Amino acid sequence: MPPTGDPLARRYRRLLIGYPRDWRRARADEVVAVLLDTATPGRTRPTTREAVNLLRHGLRARLGRPASRTVVAWATLAAVICGLFTAALATWAAWHTARPLPDRAAARAVVAEVLPGHEVGGIDPAAALFTFYSQPLRARNLDSLLLGDGGEYQQASVTVAVTSAPTQRQEVLALARRRLDETGWRTYPTHVRPDVTCRVDGCTPTGAVTEIVTARRGDTALTLTVAPRPSIDDTYVTVGLSRATPTAVPFAAVAGGLLGAAAGWLLFGWVSRRTERPHPAAGTVTVLYAATMLLWWAPVLLAAPSLFRHHLGEPHPVWHPLWEWLGQPALSLFFVVGAGCALCGLALAALPRRGPLPYAADQHELLG
Amino acid sequence: MREPTFLILTALAGGPRHGYGIIGEVNALSAGRVTLLPGTLYTALDRLVAQGHVAHDRDEHVDGRLRRYYRLTPPGQQALETETARLRQLATAAETRLRALRPRTA
Repeated sequence: MPPTGDPLARRYRRLLIGYPRDWRRARADEVVAVLLDTATPGRTRPTTREAVNLLRHGLRARLGRPASRTVVAWATLAAVICGLFTAALATWAAWHTARPLPDRAAARAVVAEVLPGHEVGGIDPAAALFTFYSQPLRARNLDSLLLGDGGEYQQASVTVAVTSAPTQRQEVLALARRRLDETGWRTYPTHVRPDVTCRVDGCTPTGAVTEIVTARRGDTALTLTVAPRPSIDDTYVTVGLSRATPTAVPFAAVAGGLLGAAAGWLLFGWVSRRTERPHPAAGTVTVLYAATMLLWWAPVLLAAPSLFRHHLGEPHPVWHPLWEWLGQPALSLFFVVGAGCALCGLALAALPRRGPLPYAADQHELLG
Repeated sequence: MREPTFLILTALAGGPRHGYGIIGEVNALSAGRVTLLPGTLYTALDRLVAQGHVAHDRDEHVDGRLRRYYRLTPPGQQALETETARLRQLATAAETRLRALRPRTA
């Protein structure tokens, strides 16, 4: 049916955008005619139910393989993981909207506020918001990052050592908690970590404990650690200051996730339609898809549950960034190899087909 | 076989029909309980064509609108017969149990 001046027909035709172009070329006139037949007289706009139905089934048609009962599940698997990774990338970019970490003077002022009368020893400033072995990540570190040391890319903090002679540990903790409350910090329950001694044959508890108080005020997170005994430089309390998750991060996660999931669905659909048999690389592309999903999902399934347990186990004023939940960059080698498989699959799908695309064949059959 | 698929095949068992005709017939067969939306219908038709249960029959143009007719194929007829026998067996079993139940509850 050629485009008409009927606004309802024009709007129905616009809603078919969810369907692939070959499908629209073969079926649009027929489907629009049925939609117009079912519309109540005088209506000029599609109903919401019709619009949702056409978009939903259009997205299904984009996957090709109409007789398959599992293709939607495979596409969902690809779309979700693409969405997760793009969301993580977007949050990484959004994290860089955070203010720089407190400088030495600001860090000293916080300690004076929280532990008045205590002497400040060394201050270890952070080189960047996220560091790799305490240094900003540089291109020359990428091989180490990929080959096993990715877990060292972490959120950095300014660390202040408090060296004055300890009074009672409980007095220090009580003073810190009281001062934090008085100066507007939101405090979390004290976390107690057993002290252990490690030898070749394993680690054994010493009976002593390290106590950790966490707090947050505005965009600053504070971690006050009271060790069971002073360290070699007489430090018995350390105060770490880091940045809280910037406001832009959740918005970036949602936007990045939706865009990535949509892109994943469309790319999967394109490859799926292109590689419907007969296609010279149909089998190889299926194997590459399976390898990609395995390599991308495995780090997520390994990291997310253990990080979840870690979050439950101790208070977190600031959640670990999204990429750590996806096992990145600790297991980034998996991701990179998976991305290589995905790119090979896309390249093979672009190879010329032996026959016409399935919907083009349908059209030939329908019109023939 | 899901109910909409069963109803589409049943609608086509009465002879070739176009999309709007199938929607109307499915609605009548289900006593108004099932109203297929065009998106749902064409996903089902794509699947049935790919499975070889339904085939394109002919095209007509009525008032400037394209009407594409579909017909049941022999494999489609076979699938419908198999599903009908299955449903009949289930319905018979349920009826037998319900008949046995009625005198006791009366």
